[in-house]
Order: sequence, then structure tokens, then C-alpha cells
Amino acid sequence: MLIRPLRRLLTRSTAVSHFHTFPPCLSSKKILQQFKLADIGEGITECEVIKWNVKELGTIQSFDPLCEVQSDKASVEITSPFDGVVKEILVKEGEVAKVGQGLCVIEVDEELLDSGSAEQTEPASSSTPAPIIPTSKFVEDAASQAEQISEEPSAPRRLHPMDPNYSPPSSHNANPENVLAKPSVRHYARQSKVDLSRLLSGSGRDGRIEKKDIDAFLSQQASSVSADCGLAAPQAQAEQDVIVELGRTRYGMWKAMTQSLDIPHFGYSTSLDLTSLHSLLPTLNSHIPEHFNPSKSSSLPINPSALYPAPSLPPVPESAQFTRLTYLPILLKTLAKAMMAWPVLRSSITPGSANGGGKPTLTIRPHADIAVALSTTTGLYTPVIPRADTHSIYSLSSQLKHLSFLGRQVPCALTMNEMPKRGATVTVSNVGAVGDGEYAHPVLVPGGGVAIVAIGRARWVWDVSKSERGERRLKVGVSWSADHRVLEGAELAAFVESWRAYVEAPERLIGEGI
Amino acid sequence: MLLRDDLQNGNYESSGECASSVITPTHSIYLSTSTNPYFNLSFEDWLFRHAPQKEPLLLLYRDAPCVVIGRNQNPWKEVNLRAARAQGIPWVRRRSGGGTVYHDLGNTNFSIHVPRTTFDRGATAQVILRAVRALGIDADVNERNDICVGGEKASGSAYKIVSGRAYHHGTMLIATRLETLGDLLRVGKDTMITKGVASVRSPVCNLAQFSETVSHDTFVNSVVDSFKAEYGVHDEPCIVNDTDDLARIGYIERGMAELPSWDWAFGQTPEFEYTIKKSFAWGDVTAHIHARHGVILSCTLQGLESELGKALEGKRYGFVEDAELGMDVSGMEEVVWAWLKEEMSSYD
Repeated sequence: MLIRPLRRLLTRSTAVSHFHTFPPCLSSKKILQQFKLADIGEGITECEVIKWNVKELGTIQSFDPLCEVQSDKASVEITSPFDGVVKEILVKEGEVAKVGQGLCVIEVDEELLDSGSAEQTEPASSSTPAPIIPTSKFVEDAASQAEQISEEPSAPRRLHPMDPNYSPPSSHNANPENVLAKPSVRHYARQSKVDLSRLLSGSGRDGRIEKKDIDAFLSQQASSVSADCGLAAPQAQAEQDVIVELGRTRYGMWKAMTQSLDIPHFGYSTSLDLTSLHSLLPTLNSHIPEHFNPSKSSSLPINPSALYPAPSLPPVPESAQFTRLTYLPILLKTLAKAMMAWPVLRSSITPGSANGGGKPTLTIRPHADIAVALSTTTGLYTPVIPRADTHSIYSLSSQLKHLSFLGRQVPCALTMNEMPKRGATVTVSNVGAVGDGEYAHPVLVPGGGVAIVAIGRARWVWDVSKSERGERRLKVGVSWSADHRVLEGAELAAFVESWRAYVEAPERLIGEGI
Repeated sequence: MLLRDDLQNGNYESSGECASSVITPTHSIYLSTSTNPYFNLSFEDWLFRHAPQKEPLLLLYRDAPCVVIGRNQNPWKEVNLRAARAQGIPWVRRRSGGGTVYHDLGNTNFSIHVPRTTFDRGATAQVILRAVRALGIDADVNERNDICVGGEKASGSAYKIVSGRAYHHGTMLIATRLETLGDLLRVGKDTMITKGVASVRSPVCNLAQFSETVSHDTFVNSVVDSFKAEYGVHDEPCIVNDTDDLARIGYIERGMAELPSWDWAFGQTPEFEYTIKKSFAWGDVTAHIHARHGVILSCTLQGLESELGKALEGKRYGFVEDAELGMDVSGMEEVVWAWLKEEMSSYD
């Protein structure tokens, strides 16, 4: 039985970096949220409720049709902004609701709301769990600024279209007579929060605004915003003590960590030899498949598709394309392989089975779901790569690229799609990308899986363990923390050896056919 | 080649061509040659729910003579059911809001679908207006977004909005039999007070009154051109009819079955109260009927001591058979019951 932490495994004294995880599922406190009739536009001030699609005390999922209202000549289907239970219907069928009036009361889980405070009565967007923190390059300073700003309602969060505060883009800006742009470009502008009328003319035909004009406008904006934040930061250091409220993500972390005290952790650290992978990397990089890296299209003198089109995979969105493969997707692939051989690492505590004093059960998944810790300016997220074992190394690299793209959007574009409630069974934190720490003691939270590994930074060392003369090897430190209620120390150690057996002999992947 | 399962499950690949027997919702322009209103409305709804959300879409169609009421209207109030029955003209409740219209082959219907975020009633009305003007007719749009010529309506509009998508659809009177329109939409039930939407009646006119060249085909071509110009679409129209695999798509099949069903046609009627009075040999009888969703909630009779009112509770308004009353009616009751049956009649 291992006792944490195993500092003696390290040869040098280290700066201990505590690395935390933040799962999407927190405490399940329920609150009542009044859902108001939003402004449908067109000067309409009231609507008649024609039909409710759900009864009182019925459950509803976000984006399910909730009710149908009619105003003038428009029949409008209103969808639910969140998952929950409809506790009370405030306007019955046949009655008239004024814009801004409550239509019904829905009981929701607290963490599904954008704002941490329970007094707020506006319906929240359930599609983005991002907190209200403005963009900034300076993480530390902005964090203190952000916690002060986050309580203000004027933050740029994405509102559900039926939220009373949602203001649909004014038709004057989108008026085709003033600004030329295709509907798909207008939509992109809306998504990027760019007012089309601010772009005087575009690069397209007849001065039409194209997507690249919007991108150019945005990059102009971004550089001016970060300049502002840079100037503001030094002023934040006041002379006296300052009391700062915890923003949503930080408070979420607080709650999650408090819950994590229930989990008995044990740690296990080792270092993996990446030298074999290092020699493979150039070859893998020069053969990134075309649909992941279209810019690098090979121009062969003889065309393989001359007789018949060679099989080609569907194109991949730009956010999922990459030009350089790193170690992380390979480590994930080998980890997934090891997880397939070790069912206990594919297990999670069956939700609810541990409550009420009964004997808990473990649910074993047929595939390896791995969560990846993503630290962004808007917060720390752990999106999941489901069924990682079914993906190739290139495909994992593409997914990582896409997830980090989504995570870096402001507000965060990660949704419940990328961060499902059931989470993953193993979490990976690539903290080596942030700092050159040597050891970490990551923390598990309920719902975060049975084990978490922090991967450090690879470095060349002189290794005398294999031969007397010694040789130069590339090593990376990995620190595991696991739930001792589920895993035994020896089990984890043996599992890590399975992982190592793939990482240090990657040629096995050829034999097994990825 | 697409399988029917793919169509039903929503797995589509966009294709530039329109195959003769397999239709996908991925085109931008559709022309229906079917004149079956149940098919056209269900097809429109299928396109609405299944077409790519971000792409604009146009559908044009004509119906054989029928009356079309709005989603939340009262057929007993809006449609002259007796005249419709006499002329063998069906009536249909559509899925969008708004008022009652009459369709025949001299009327062409248009339906423009766009993403909800870019929906603008004025903009879509302009697309149609430009099409009409391009035919050499001096038309305008009134404050209710209807196309008018010389102060008379040539077109009526209605809208439907759901979370990701919205449509504006409407009629265009080209060469409709206006006297039939008048007959069928003229109902005298002033004492029927409905909670739903009442039609806004206006004088109407046909586009053919103002141009010799306007017809269904020239109007369709003009709208297609106007739509293509507005949305930068270059696809050719996809022609559909109700005899190919389309009618066998589950969603469309279910829609076509739902529209004529009692539950949709009558059962979606909002609450209404109807007060009628008649003089009989023995005196006046006033009946006050309160119904909701096509079912009688209460019927109070003044001027007649009877269990008749109570017996009608819970029965389908306009569809009560004598046997359903569960009581013998004779004498005064029989006369009053005959009167009530006539007044409530759906002529269906």
C-alpha cells in the first residue's frame, strides 16, 4: 500500500505544483428559475400561449419544445433553456403573456446557471458553462480584476435567444441595402459579435463582406483589448487590503475540492522514457494525413487517383486541423491501450450507488474515456475524449486541437457535448506545457474518474541505469493520484508498467494494428 | 445513393442534383407539383425541420381548392362549413399562425425558410415584392407585411418560429375565384367569442387584374430569381410531387395523417363561448355553450328545464350523435336539441 507523496523517487528537490481539476458536475443543489417570455422582436409586446408541451412536474431537457405561443401572425415554438423540472406553469393555455412576464418556473441544478448567485431571475444559457470573465493576456492580474468584475450583469456572455435580455441583432445593421454580405457571413459576424455596419466595405464582389474581413476586424480588436488590459493591471494593486469575491470558476473549484476531501488519494510517480518516440516523431510528422493538414498537399508526379478516386476521408473543420504532432496524443493513445487491458481503469463509481450506506458498485465502460485538463483564460475545464482507444494518434491530435480551440474561445465554446455529465475514468493533465515542474500531486474530485495523471516536461538526461557507460535518454516525469477506494497501489503501479511497455516500445503498435 | 432509412434518420449528403425518386432536404429551392394541401403542408414542415439550419430555402406550391385556417383559429367561426361542404371543398388547419385564406389553382403559395437569427419579416416580404414588381405590377407592402396592389390585398402572410429556424409563408392571388373565396370565408357567427386569433378581413384582388402575362409559372420564375439574388443561391429548383418516395417518408406520412385528424383539425381549437337564442312556440331559449379544444365544457340552457345541457358536457362540439346524449329527447327537448345540433354543426 503506497503512501502519498513519494518524494524519494525524485533525485532533486522540487517546487511542488498543486494541480487541480474541475469537473463539470458539482454539487447538485437545486434552485427555482423563472423563465420569462423573451422579446420576439418586431414590436410585439404580448403573446397568447397556445399550447404547453409539458405538464406541471414534468421533466424537460434544454432545447426541448416547451410551449407554443402566438402573436399576430407568428406562431412561435419556445424551447427550454435548461434541463430541469417544470414546477409551475404561470400562464395557462389561452391566456396572454406579456413580454418579460414569467411563463413558468423550472427547477434546475445550480451549476447549470451562468451566475453563481441564486437571486438572479433571468434564465441562463445552458449551452455554455463559461463564467463571466473578460479577455486578458495576463492571467494572474486579470484573475483578480475578473473576480471583481464578474458580479456585474453587463458581461459579454452568450444568451439563450429566449432570454429576455437577449437582443437580436438589429435589422438595420443587417439590412441588405446598407451592408452587403451573404446570410452565412452575417451569421458568422453575429457569432463573432461583430457589428457588420462597422466594417465599411468588404473584399468580396461589389464590396461584399467576406468571412476573412470579419477575422481581420477581430484581430484588430483583440490587439487593442489586450493593450487595455495590460495598462489596467498595474492599477489593480491597491495600497490596502482588498476583499475579492470568488468568481464562478474559482468558487466551483472550492466546492469541488471540498468534496474531494472524501476521496482517499494515494500517489505514484515515475518517469517514462520517450527516446523511441522521439525518433518516431519526425516520420509521423511528415505524414500527417491530408484531411488533418490540407495545407501540406503532396504533389506527386503520378496521380494515384487517375483511374479512380482514392479513398479520402471527410474534410475536417479548421479548428481540428494541425501541422505538428506532439507527444501528448501518442501518450494518450498508449494510455488508452493500457486502459483497455485494465478494466479497473475504465471504471467509475456508479452514481448513487455509494449513497445511503449500501454497498457501492463500479460501472465499467467498454471503451477508454480520457479527460484532458484545459487551462484557459476563462477557467479550467476538463473536456472528455470519448472512446480514445478507437482513435488513431492523428485523430487524437486533431481532437485535442479542436478542444483547445473551443476552450480558448471567449466565452468558452465547450459545451455539455465535450464535457458530458458522466465524465471520464482517467484524467490527463499536461502541466509540463505550463511549467517545468518535476512532481505534482493532482487531486481527484467526485465524478472525475478513478485516477489522474500529471505529465511533466520532457528533458534529456544522462541515464546510467541501463549501461555502465551511460547514454542520453529523453525522459518525462508522470505523477499519478488515484482513488484508493477503487484502486490498489500495486494495481496502479502494474497499470503504469503496462503503459510504459507501450510508450517505451511503440513498435508494438504496428503489430497490434492501431 | 441514399437509403430511405437515411432520409428518415436524417443522414444526408448534400448533392447538387435532384434525383428523380430520392429527395433530400438539402436543396435551396423546391417546386411542388402536388396540389394536395395535406402533402404540401407536411412537405413544407418536413423541409422546415430537416433542412440545414443555416441555409435559406424556398418552396413554391399550389393547392386544389381548400380553405386554410391558422394554427390557433376556430373553424366554426372562420369557415362557412356548410358552404364548404356543399361545394365539396375541404378545410385544413396549418401549422403557422395568422388568419384564414382560400387556396385554389389560381393562387400560388410561397414559403421562405431562414435561420431564426436572421429572420426578418420585412426582408422576406421584399423578396416577394421584388418578384411581383419584376412582372410589371405596381405592388406595395402594407403595414402588416402583406403585398397589395392599389390598396387591395393580393397576398396574406403567416410565420412560424422555432429555436433554430423560422419561415414566412403566404399566398399570392393570381387568378383565384374571388367569389368562392368570399362565400367560404363569410361566417355570420357574431355571438361566437373565441380566445384565438380572429382573421383581419380585407378586400382582395388578383394579380391578373393588373397584368396579362402574370401566371403561376411566370410568378414562380420571378420569385425564384428574386430569391436567388437575395441569398446568393445558384441551385436549380428541385421539382417534387407526392407520388415519389417523398410521400413515404415517415415524417411526411405522419404529417399527412395528422392534418385531417379530429385531434388536429378540431381539437386544436382554443377556448370559445357561443351564445345563441331562438324563439320557440313556448318562449325563447338561450343556449350558452362553452368549449375548449373542440370539447364542450358546459352548455347552459335558459328557457328550458332539461338535462340536455348537462348531457352535452364532455362531448365533441359539432359531432354529438343522438345516441351519445344518453337520454331520451322528446317534445320541447327534441326541438331544442335539433336546433342546437344545427347551430353546432360541422358538416363534416
